[in-house]
Amino acid sequence: MTVPNSISIEEVISELKLVLDKKNILTEYEERFCYAYDATAIGDELYLPDVVVLPENTEQVAQIMKIANKYKVPVITRGAGTNLCGGCITLKNGIVIHTSKLNKILSIDKENLTCVVEAGAVVEKLQQEVEELGLFYPPDPSNLKVSTIGGSVALSSSGPRCFKYGGTKDYVLGLEVVTAKGEIINVGGNTVKNVTGYNLSQLFVGSEGTLGIVTKVTLKLVPLPESKQVMLVFFDSIDDAAMAVTDIISHKITPSTLDLMDQKTMDTVEQFHPTGLPTHYDAALVIEVDGIADTISVQAKQIEEICYKNNSKDVRIAKDKKEADEIWFARRSAFGAVARMKPNVITEDAVVPRDKIPQMVKAIRKIAEKYNLTVCTMGHAGDGNLHPNFSLDLRDHDEHERLEKAVEELFDAAIELGGTLSGEHGIGMSKARFMNKVASEEVLEYMRLIKNSFDPNNILNPGKILIK
Amino acid sequence: MKTLQDYSEDIYKCSKCGICLAACPVYEETGNEATLSRGFFTLLHGALNNKIPMNKLAKYLDYCTTCKACFDFCPSGISAEEIILAARSYFYEQGDVSAIKKSIVKIFNSTLMLKGLGASAGMYRALQGPFWMEQLGGLSSQLNLISNIVNGQTQEYIKYKPLLRVCDKKEINAVYFPGCINNYFNASVKNAAVMVCEKNGIDLHIKSGFACCGIPARSIGDVQSFINLAKHNIDQINLEKIDYLITDCATCGIVWDTYPEYLEGEYREKALLLAQKSINIYKFLTQFDIFMPNNIENNKIVTYHDPCHLKRGQKVNKEPREFLSAIPGIEFEEMKDSDRCCGASGLYFLAKSNISQSISKRKAENILNTNASIITTSCPSCKIGLSQGLSLYNKNLPVYQPVELLANNYLHSEGS
Ligand SMILES: Cc1cc2nc3c(=O)[nH]c(=O)nc-3n(C[C@H](O)[C@H](O)[C@H](O)COP(=O)(O)OP(=O)(O)OC[C@H]3O[C@@H](n4cnc5c(N)ncnc54)[C@H](O)[C@@H]3O)c2cc1C
Ligand code: SF4
Ligand code: SF4
Repeated sequence: MTVPNSISIEEVISELKLVLDKKNILTEYEERFCYAYDATAIGDELYLPDVVVLPENTEQVAQIMKIANKYKVPVITRGAGTNLCGGCITLKNGIVIHTSKLNKILSIDKENLTCVVEAGAVVEKLQQEVEELGLFYPPDPSNLKVSTIGGSVALSSSGPRCFKYGGTKDYVLGLEVVTAKGEIINVGGNTVKNVTGYNLSQLFVGSEGTLGIVTKVTLKLVPLPESKQVMLVFFDSIDDAAMAVTDIISHKITPSTLDLMDQKTMDTVEQFHPTGLPTHYDAALVIEVDGIADTISVQAKQIEEICYKNNSKDVRIAKDKKEADEIWFARRSAFGAVARMKPNVITEDAVVPRDKIPQMVKAIRKIAEKYNLTVCTMGHAGDGNLHPNFSLDLRDHDEHERLEKAVEELFDAAIELGGTLSGEHGIGMSKARFMNKVASEEVLEYMRLIKNSFDPNNILNPGKILIK
Repeated sequence: MKTLQDYSEDIYKCSKCGICLAACPVYEETGNEATLSRGFFTLLHGALNNKIPMNKLAKYLDYCTTCKACFDFCPSGISAEEIILAARSYFYEQGDVSAIKKSIVKIFNSTLMLKGLGASAGMYRALQGPFWMEQLGGLSSQLNLISNIVNGQTQEYIKYKPLLRVCDKKEINAVYFPGCINNYFNASVKNAAVMVCEKNGIDLHIKSGFACCGIPARSIGDVQSFINLAKHNIDQINLEKIDYLITDCATCGIVWDTYPEYLEGEYREKALLLAQKSINIYKFLTQFDIFMPNNIENNKIVTYHDPCHLKRGQKVNKEPREFLSAIPGIEFEEMKDSDRCCGASGLYFLAKSNISQSISKRKAENILNTNASIITTSCPSCKIGLSQGLSLYNKNLPVYQPVELLANNYLHSEGS
């Protein structure tokens, strides 16, 4: 599509100049080149935006949207550009709205446990600020150091703590959104309960910038847990690890984290960031409980017993902050370690019912073996969410082709086990072609109707989630 | 020495995970992806694969303060600083470096010229001309600010005075590398270092032939001059008689560690040996039981800024704090983000004055949120960044090196 022939992008840019400061309009080829990518490994494809803008307030976003709508130019919103589904790739060129200058934390309401932030505010910054006040914003995508609230709302991101606390979607109370026409609308509110018509704020959650541009978010907060206790548990077989997970939950314990690392992951972490992690166990669980100090020490003991009962070979309960940090360091450096093996990493995000984790891990291993690929599997065992990280070199075309086949088989395996394509990374451009595997034609048609009513000219992040 | 081409695999290895966005002080100000490591690697990869002309990139790479913060976080372990320096030497070879930068660096490359400048008007004052500023890309409207900052740098706080030793002379061969600022513009830190060591039985040998460490040349990509300076400095040292090579400038310290990468043969061997001997003054001093006089009545709250090239470059951050906290009359208070770049970074504060000032302002904010009345650091360039930020808030707090504070106490205890 790009810009309709009759209009030159110069006209669009000259209108943008009336709205934005010169330094907030990036037009140089080199600058646009930097915005042709996000964290998705897309190889050497090049989709270049026509212009990148850095608005400083909602009003400017609305003006930009009006211009885009007038000229029917695509608009792609970008937070930190760290998604893994090609969400920020400008498939049809157009304008990139980068929210790097919309990053303020506007207010924190201690009485009502809510806060209002701009879309570009960074998750970790928010967490630090609310924690200083004894409050807690639990959603913790592992790259929370950079992930923006807008991006995590648009993808409904989550992380290890999701098992107990839920993901981003569970914390969004209200949104300020700029529509495709450039109107500024407020949906939802600032109360925890709200049953007033259709739940539009949840419709925008996970919509990947295809329905509107989120400019402000009102989030729910919870009280900060008094203390926490993390432990690392090793098993000789992934089946035992999975049984332990089920057993812990059936004992009415709700850990805040129930994460899994497989043997290859531990081996790789130890290779690049040695912390004395044993490398011969088939699987390890990272389990964290939080709450009142007395309760969690009892729970930690209970979990230890349950794990040993399920054939755990070793349970390491962190004795102090240093040991706790080491366990989390090992877990958090897993992605980085995989990234050091070969130049590229493709992180998949299949989700299955929790009790199907062992079958899914085995399926992943089998597929990787079949296509001769290196894979490290980690994930959130409590949520049935697995991240197979394929380590490869995309310049090797044969390897790339094998990966494509493996990924498709992986999705089929997840679906067969009653699961789906993505637990937290979204659909974007990478998985759009698989949507018909999980949604019937009727469902897809309703999705298209929704898209069409918000964005009749298909200018909001076109080519993502739904392909015509 | 690795060339840009040698780094092509590292450049390709950037997974674009974006973690560096959280670390980069420049991105925090610009919000522009083309001004930090992820963007640099995207561009360099594009250029190495002929999608962008390489000569277009210098402008973007110049945004980097080489603070190394992104390297600390990068899951793929890629050093933006190293690669940017390799790119700059490529640009230098291609002739893509402004004449003005070259002529400033020429001054540092020549001991004679440095001496001349230091003795006459002072290097800093020479840098104040609007012409220089404009050529560097800075704003001449901010000249006043800059001249205030740099004038503050030339006041000598500690004047040398021989002190009474508190112990026997130690059998240590310690060579002291003062660096350009100590040598030609303001000897206060050098005086303090020598006095503190002497008082504690350690004689510092200062070779009169030492030249600039070479960092200005290397930062514009003039590798040949850098190598010449490296060899010259190495030649000044008697390798048989050296236990320690002491620096108090964070950058000089890290440069001694990197000489071997740029040298070959015999010089490389010598440089490797010296890199092992090279030690920051606080790491050196905290090995000993340093005499602390108990003569100070009024308590002063002091904070400390970690120079990028000391904390990330040499892994020295505990020692200066330990040293400071041991000085009677000093109460140490930590500032938030003490290891965030100060914004000065050599000539950066002139070449990219707007961004440099914004970075310095954030630093100053963190300083002003403490109760400190004295700021300390261990790098002459950081001193500029810290003063710059503070003067943007119209605050005139003194910035010293920890050794200057102890030397001052010594002077008081001996009644001068
Ligand atoms: C190393 C690594 C680890 C990760 N770990 C996790 C994890 O543990 N859990 C997890 O859930 N995800 C994870 N991710 C995926 C991703 O980083 C997160 O989903 C993240 O929250 C995305 O935030 P962002 O600001 O980078 O969004 P971006 O990548 O900038 O944008 C994501 C999508 O949202 C849209 N968008 C962005 N801002 C807005 C807005 N203001 N309004 C409307 N649409 C918008 C974009 O168009 C795009 O489609 C990881 C990614 C990496 C690289
Ligand atoms: S942190 Fe490292 S790998 Fe990640 S985008 Fe930045 S430079 Fe690339
Ligand atoms: S070295 Fe510092 S300034 Fe340069 S890209 Fe990395 S974080 Fe940014």
